[in-house]
Order: sequence, then structure tokens, then C-alpha cells
Amino acid sequence: MTETVQPELQHENPLMEGLKLRRAPDPCALVIFGASGDLTKRKLFPALYSLALRKLLPSRFGVVGAARTEETDDDFRERMKAGVQEFGRDPFNQETWDWLAERMRYVALDFADETGQLEIVKVLNELDDKQGTSGNRLYYLAVPPSAIATIVKEVGEHRSTDGWTRLIVEKPFGRDLESAKALNAELLENFNESEIFRIDHYLGKETVQNLLALRFANGIFEPIWNRQFVDHVQITVAESIGIEGRAAFYEQAGAIRDVFQNHMLQLVALTAMEPPIDFTADSVRNEKVKVLRAMHTPGPKHVVRGQYGRGYVEGEEVPAYREEPGVDPNSLTETYVSAKLYVDNWRWADTPFYVRAGKRLARRETTIAIEFKRAPHPPFEDVGEGDLQPNVLVCHIQPDEGVSLEFAAKVPGQGLTLRTVHMDFLYGGAFRTGIPEAYERLILDCLLGDATLFTRADEVEEQWSLVDTIVAFWKRDRPAFPNYEAGTWGPSGADDLMRRDGRAWRRH
Amino acid sequence: MAAALGSISEIEHELGAQRVDPETGQPIQRTSVMTHVAWVPEAWVEAAEDVLAGLAERHPSRTIVLFPEPKQDDSLIGNVEVDRYAAGEGRQICTETIRLRLRGNRVQAPASVIEPLLLPDLPVFLRWRGMPPFGEQPFEQMVRTVDRLIVDSTEWPGLPEPYEQLAEIFDRVVVSDIAWARTSRWRLQLASLWPGIAEVSRIKVTGTEAQANLLAGWLRSRLGSEIELEHEAADKLTGVEVDGEATAFPPGAAPDPADLLSDELERFTRDRIYEDAVKATRM
Repeated sequence: MTETVQPELQHENPLMEGLKLRRAPDPCALVIFGASGDLTKRKLFPALYSLALRKLLPSRFGVVGAARTEETDDDFRERMKAGVQEFGRDPFNQETWDWLAERMRYVALDFADETGQLEIVKVLNELDDKQGTSGNRLYYLAVPPSAIATIVKEVGEHRSTDGWTRLIVEKPFGRDLESAKALNAELLENFNESEIFRIDHYLGKETVQNLLALRFANGIFEPIWNRQFVDHVQITVAESIGIEGRAAFYEQAGAIRDVFQNHMLQLVALTAMEPPIDFTADSVRNEKVKVLRAMHTPGPKHVVRGQYGRGYVEGEEVPAYREEPGVDPNSLTETYVSAKLYVDNWRWADTPFYVRAGKRLARRETTIAIEFKRAPHPPFEDVGEGDLQPNVLVCHIQPDEGVSLEFAAKVPGQGLTLRTVHMDFLYGGAFRTGIPEAYERLILDCLLGDATLFTRADEVEEQWSLVDTIVAFWKRDRPAFPNYEAGTWGPSGADDLMRRDGRAWRRH
Repeated sequence: MAAALGSISEIEHELGAQRVDPETGQPIQRTSVMTHVAWVPEAWVEAAEDVLAGLAERHPSRTIVLFPEPKQDDSLIGNVEVDRYAAGEGRQICTETIRLRLRGNRVQAPASVIEPLLLPDLPVFLRWRGMPPFGEQPFEQMVRTVDRLIVDSTEWPGLPEPYEQLAEIFDRVVVSDIAWARTSRWRLQLASLWPGIAEVSRIKVTGTEAQANLLAGWLRSRLGSEIELEHEAADKLTGVEVDGEATAFPPGAAPDPADLLSDELERFTRDRIYEDAVKATRM
């Protein structure tokens, strides 16, 4: 059993030796701006509840929900309780809920109104007195981008002087390089970089972190993880769902800002990065940012965008993007993007990274596939060079988290016929303990002040720099949308992108 | 009810057969992290089965349960169960349980029975129910074969004497004791009394004999002083007094037996603190 303990207890105490200890977060109060939104109900409170159930929250803790909607503390508690019951991964436990509910408060406010901020400060001071939260504050900004600057300014002006203050910012971190820089400047005007936690929930997924374990804890992979042995890398972030009522956001963002700029480029960075000297936040992020700086796309014909038309997903007819409620019938927003990227460094020079992300594709799947170079010469009489398939190491991020290796094996019988077979490791098969939700891990890390799995300002700006280059290509022409049927693997142009290089997207 | 199998090759054949999905004819994926061997004398069968039921899904492994029946005629009787669990979308994995009755003289050579059934390259954990027969052939053979021995000294009579024999095997096999794991909440609670506890001279423990002896041994070894132990028997650890003053009850609920064994199955290195505590159980 792992216990939590305050660090001061460990100092020079011979009885602490050997006790398996988990770092305990400091006492603190969490303020969620945007507490009436879906994210709070579907993700944040179920995550807080799961942390509370596992005794991972500090015993001296408080939560303040803040939003424009008028409601009482009890209304807020009831709404969040329903969220935990509907979306939580754990069975509902009344005792745990009561513990959390006792620490919950709600403040209705206009974000721009200083009196609202003063009300929050008052409630936080009450929590300091009643729950012993010690002046430590974590602000979670689950709000639209337009509200961030106002809140950051207000929070900065009324920040606690007694303890630490941290800020979690949800994506999007801007909509281009210029706006990202402006946002970073606004954040840094009121907070230090070490106090800012830019959340990309993909980085909280166990299997994304397992990619680091796979690479850096296994001696067999890293020596061949380079241009000498790897032919190319394919990364797929495919969704079978459409925009799920988020037309207003998606029309502005498109696939490149919704997924490519953040999740996709983070996956590329984790796949391509050099081994960090340790697993501290700055060591890991320094290596990622080097990859992002070295990344480029060779030109407009190596980037393909698409938009889905009508089609069938899991046997059901689904509307075209332009027919979705709230979408402009002549919309030119892309729902699919694929690209060939290069990482110009010693390890990866001339090794293409083919990436694709899209909505309404044939299935939901996020994978990183490392395709190795073919065996140079088949010594078998009946086997031609073309018959030998390359070895592929596939990291399955979702839905079936795990790793598989494809290799050739002899088919039993006369002669020497080869077949490609899969060796699968299913993450959930080997480790049957429940996999924590990404938000649980990330909120806990933030409470502990560990920023390893959060994105730093320079990373965000490097990501936008690449995206701006791609968006600039797109401004030169008018795409013929829609160009792929819902339920397929995207536009034919994406296949051409690979075909020109004598390659093909992996079959799924 | 699975058919009785009389040899290792029959067992291996049956394992292969049961790993095929009867509906699709396709092999079911097996993911294993260890071989878990349990030595279960007659008196412990019921308790052992309960714990194993709570473990199977958490630690996908090959479990080999050995039932020694020395008074029967020489024979080996086995059966095999392959349990399937959902893992991912539409996929299943399987875990295997092999139950072997070692009858008559077969009890004397258990290592030769389990060796061919161990999963290659994976750690082997041995859970020995009841008091191990220290120095006797079956136990010594098994200790040589496995990577980690898990006991629960709560199951042992005549404490603290048997701890001396246990300490003799520390250099040969890594040992875990579930009785020790059960004291972890209390150890943390006692540690929180530092530095006031540094001069303790007497403790009173209400709990099992094993818990009382291990807590006293722990304090003696960590603090380097002689500490008198008063023990009040109870079936679980419910109180510790330090120089006559009651220690606050530690927070949280006590873990169940399957959780305790599950935690021990995740440890791979020697626990020097435990070893020192065992050696200091006798003043």
C-alpha cells in the first residue's frame, strides 16, 4: 500500500526509511472558471472525484466553481454529482462525494467585473479558514479563448500573497503564431512560466507516456530508432465522429487547429525527441522543443486538406460537414489534414513523418507506426524482394492501447512461403488496474507542481510557426470541398501524397 | 468441471486447447507478467481460493496452485482453467490457472513439477500458505526455484521463534510478508510521532502476534534501542500504545487480503527494513 506524506516528515526520521511514499499535494483551493460548461461536468469533476476516492487530493482542499450562470452552492453540487455519476470511471461512493461536496463552493460572476473577483477572493479566504487551504491557489481556465485575457488580468491582480498560485489553461493556445505570442505575453505579464500549465489532455494519456517508457526503458528500440533503420513514420489521429454540435468552434478552428497543432505535433515530438537526461519538466520539454524547431514540411503539395461529404459510419448514413447544424453551407473549413513532415536533425534527416488527422473517418484510432527498412536481400529461393514486408512497430494510443510488432514468419508446409504476422501487447491486458483518465493525472501533476506533461510557451509558438506555414499554402487556392465521403480514410489526395513516394498508408 | 490430467504434457496440451476460442476457432491472446505459484496445504484451501479469485484479473499470469497430499498414493492429478477477460474493443485476453495435487512422494519434488510449467523469462512468485517447513526438501527446492517468497506470518504458530529460521533464507530468496504489509498504515502513523518517539521504551500492540512482533522489531531496528513489547491478542491491528499513550488510529480503510497479495506481487527487490525488523523480533 502506498501512503502519502508531507515531505517534512521524511527529514532525518529513521522510521520513514523504507515506507513507500507518494508525494502529497500541498493544501490548496482549486478555482474553475467556466464551471457551468461541459468540460467541468464531463471531465474535471469526475477526475476530482476519482482522485478523492483514491485519497490523492490533499486533505485540506477546496473547490470553487465560477461561471456566469446563476446558481447556488447546492445547485452546483447537484449538477456536478450528476456529472460524476454519469461520466465517472468509478462506481459512485456517497462518502467520497460528501467529502468533496463539503469543500465545494460556487460564485456566479461576470468575468470582466471586479466585484466577481472580489467575491471569489472572499470565498477563497473562507476556505483558507475553514478547510485550511493555506493560501495556495490553482485556477483552471475552462473558458473560451476570448475570456482568458480578462480572467488572467483579474486573477493576477487579486492573487494570494500567502501561498503559491498556478494557472491551468485549456487549448486553443491562440489561433496562429501572432495570437499565441500575444496570449503568452498576457499570461506572462501576470504569471511566471513556472506557474502556467497549458493542458493538452493527450499528454495525460497513459499510452502516450508509455511511448517514452517503450523508447527509453528498452535497450532494443533506441539503437534502431533513427534514419538508418527507420524508413518512415506514420501517425494517425482518426475520429469516426463528426463535430458533435461544436460548429461555432470548429468552423473557426478546423482540423489543423483542433488536432494537428497540438495533439498531432506533440505525438511527433515525443516520437522523434532525443532521450532527456532526466524526467523533469524542463529536460523533457527542452528535447520536445528541439524537435519542433527542426520540423518542416517540404511544400504545399505535401499537405492535403479535406472535408467530409455524406457517407456511412458503422452502417448509419451521416450528413456532410456542410449539412451539420451551425455550419456554413459553403464552408471551406477542413475536417481532415495530412502532411509529410521532416525533422531536420542528425537522427531523422530525410526520414519522412507522414501524419493525418480527421473527422468522420472509417474508425476511431490513434496510432504511431514506425516502419523499418526492408531486409536488404531475401536468401529464400521462392521469395522475391517485393514479397518481404517491412517490420512495423505500432504504438496504439487509442482505443486498444498497446504495442504491436509486425514481422515475417514462414507459413507451415512445403516450400517457403512468408506471411506477415502480428505480435501484440495489449496495455490493458498486462496491467489490469484501471487506467486513470488523462485529466486525473494532469490535475494531480499540477497540484504537485510537476509541469512535465504540460506544454511550454516556446513549444506552443514552434507548433504555430509550422501551422502558419501550412495555412499560408492554403490561402493560395480554393479547395473543391467536400472531397471525401464520411466513413472512408480521407481524400484521394492523401493517398497520392504517399504514392508519390512509393509508399501507402497502413491498412487498419 | 475440467478433466483430471496426469502428466505435464497432458497439462500443456490442455492449456493449448483451452486457449482457442470455441466460437471462432482463433487463439485467445495471452499477456503474462509472471508465474504465480501457490503452495496450499489442506487447511488453507478455502482461504487460498478466495484470494486467488480476487487476483486473477489484476495480475494476468500463469498461476500454479500446488496441493500437497503426502498421505495419498503417489500420483500427480492436475486440471487447467483458462479464464477470459475483455481487453479493448472486441478483444479478449486469457489467464491460466493450473491446479496440481501432489500425492505421496510427489510432494518431495515440487520444483521438478513446476519447472516445465514456468513462463520463460518472467519472475516467479511463490505464495506459501501456513508455516513453511524450513530446511525440508520441498520448501528448500521451491526457494531455489522462485524469485520471491510471499508468506503471511500471521498464519504461523509459536512466534517469534520462526522468524529466526526465516531470517536464514534472506540471502537466498527475496521475502515478502503480508503481516508486515498490514502494518504499513500504523508504521506511517508511528513515524509521524518523530521525534517524540525516539526515546520509546515500551509499546503495547493490540493485534495479531505477528503484527505485534514485527512492529516491535521495526522500532528496535530503526531506533537502535531495546523496546519492550506487550501484546494483546486481536485478529487485526486495532491499537498501538507508545509508553502507555495510545496512538491515533491511522486514516483510511485496511486493505483486503487480495489487495495485500496484489501489492506484494508488484515488488521485486529486497526489503531491508523488513529483514531488519524480523531479525530484531527477539530482544
